[in-house]
Amino acid sequence: MKRKGGFFSRSFVRIPLIIWSLAVLYPIVWMILGAFKSNAEIYSNPWGMPESFNFSNFVDAWTNYNIDISVFNSLIVTGLGALLTLAMAIPTSYALERMRFRGNRLLFTLYISAMMIPMVLGWIPLFFLLMQLNLLDNIFGLAIVYAVSQLPFSIFVLTSFMATIPKSLEEAASIDGMSPYGILWKIITPLSTTGIITVTIMNMIQFWNEYFMALIFLQSEENYTLALAIDYISNETQYTNAWGTLFASLVIAIVPVIILYAIFQRRIVKGMTEGAIKG
Amino acid sequence: MVQSKKQRNLFLAFCLVPTFLMFSVFTLYPLFNGLYYSFFEWSGASSLAEFVGFDNYKRLLNDDIIPLTILHDYFLVVTKVIGIMILATFFAVALTQMKIKEAPFYRIVFFFPNIMSVVVIGILWMFIYNPSLGLVNSGLEFIGLESWTRPWLGSEDWALPSLVLPSVWAGIGLFMLMLMGGISNISKSYYEAAEIDGATEWQQFWKVTLPLIWPQIKISILYIIITTLNGSFIIVQVMTKGGPNNSTHVMGSYLYEQAFVKYNFGYGATIGVMILVLSLITVLIMQFFMRREKVEY
Repeated sequence: MKRKGGFFSRSFVRIPLIIWSLAVLYPIVWMILGAFKSNAEIYSNPWGMPESFNFSNFVDAWTNYNIDISVFNSLIVTGLGALLTLAMAIPTSYALERMRFRGNRLLFTLYISAMMIPMVLGWIPLFFLLMQLNLLDNIFGLAIVYAVSQLPFSIFVLTSFMATIPKSLEEAASIDGMSPYGILWKIITPLSTTGIITVTIMNMIQFWNEYFMALIFLQSEENYTLALAIDYISNETQYTNAWGTLFASLVIAIVPVIILYAIFQRRIVKGMTEGAIKG
Repeated sequence: MVQSKKQRNLFLAFCLVPTFLMFSVFTLYPLFNGLYYSFFEWSGASSLAEFVGFDNYKRLLNDDIIPLTILHDYFLVVTKVIGIMILATFFAVALTQMKIKEAPFYRIVFFFPNIMSVVVIGILWMFIYNPSLGLVNSGLEFIGLESWTRPWLGSEDWALPSLVLPSVWAGIGLFMLMLMGGISNISKSYYEAAEIDGATEWQQFWKVTLPLIWPQIKISILYIIITTLNGSFIIVQVMTKGGPNNSTHVMGSYLYEQAFVKYNFGYGATIGVMILVLSLITVLIMQFFMRREKVEY
């Protein structure tokens, strides 16, 4: 068959593909290279290779700009947020997917439609609510807010995943006298591992990257997450011109995401496209 | 089942109540409370909230910046939808139909910006647009178009259009993959039939591929609209903070400025209500326009 396979038409199509690949990769690679350049080098040769790889920018970011504290805060928020999301989403997903009760559809619709609602409006009252609960400017407060914000997405993915688990397993366990709590914990949760991992990776990337809620709900520098710390350095850079330090902190922020993407590429892609196809 | 009704209800409550409580406290209550705040003049100190009826809404209608922010938001919606959909469709068709060996490489690379933090994307592109060091201006100088160089993000005319490229750059991969999912579900026999009938590749694209991936296209467009109206302010906040001279303010960044920089929390909530109403109306209208009979051959 000669269809869609002419050497020339394929080469012709490759040009835009290659150009776009360069457009994506070049800025990222260049940012990583820039992190190893001295400031003078960035000015004299902003888009080329570094003369030698030195880590002074990383040391500067780590010690003088408190990136170490921000990395720690981000890790706490990301880990705690992901765990909290699971603790809330798994039981609810199970009940919504497997148990019949009045208002089941309504509750499911309520959670799912929250994915479409712009939350900006809620952030103003949330600010005062956190203040009253003494959770403002507090990374644990932020972790709770993050966890609840990812509930709809997590419930959506987990319910559709649990729907694929055969009912006979639960029935057999129930006849053997296992309590519903036991079924949820010992049968459903282990069998949903794939779905749980997908949701958790997506949530962790989301929490690690999140910027705006952190901007609103955190105020003091010792509580900054990585995104805020980088934004802070970026604003400082306009005056200090410490570009190398800025790039080093960007690299610190992006490396965990690159690693997760390298390991879980398929799951991440699947999680995100399924999350989008909900309409 | 061997469990009593009471035990069953207890288990149901165990599954649903704590989660729903958290959801109510941290999502539902703030949304409704935001609606309530929009009728108050309030600078944050709890004793000083003053009920002002519809004053904030009157102020909204008389605020010269509000129409600009709405315009800017919809400018971003339209340009992003066009830019992302054209490129994503082209790439999706190329990668699924052209039998390109290195297709997985492109798929992996194009998707990566989708999981990068907006902060990283914004700062990276601030440097790309940097007037003296940036790639855009040095590139223009390199090809001899020095007169086209400008301080992109510092120019009132060019700052907003300059925000489109990073958004497209960061968004394409996801939508390309959604469309690829649609295309790979199309049976080969349609193309073979079209081939026998003498349809050119271009005709095959318009008559076979496009109608059959319409559901994916529709979802993609709606998704871009929703995420732009609900989230465009993040990249604005990182890259320009609404400046220069309000020329890049979108609704969300203006809300942030009013509420959390100028402490007009009541007025900020009113802007929030406007965002909510506008995005719901937009989605409903788009759904109405894009309903189209499902194509089956």
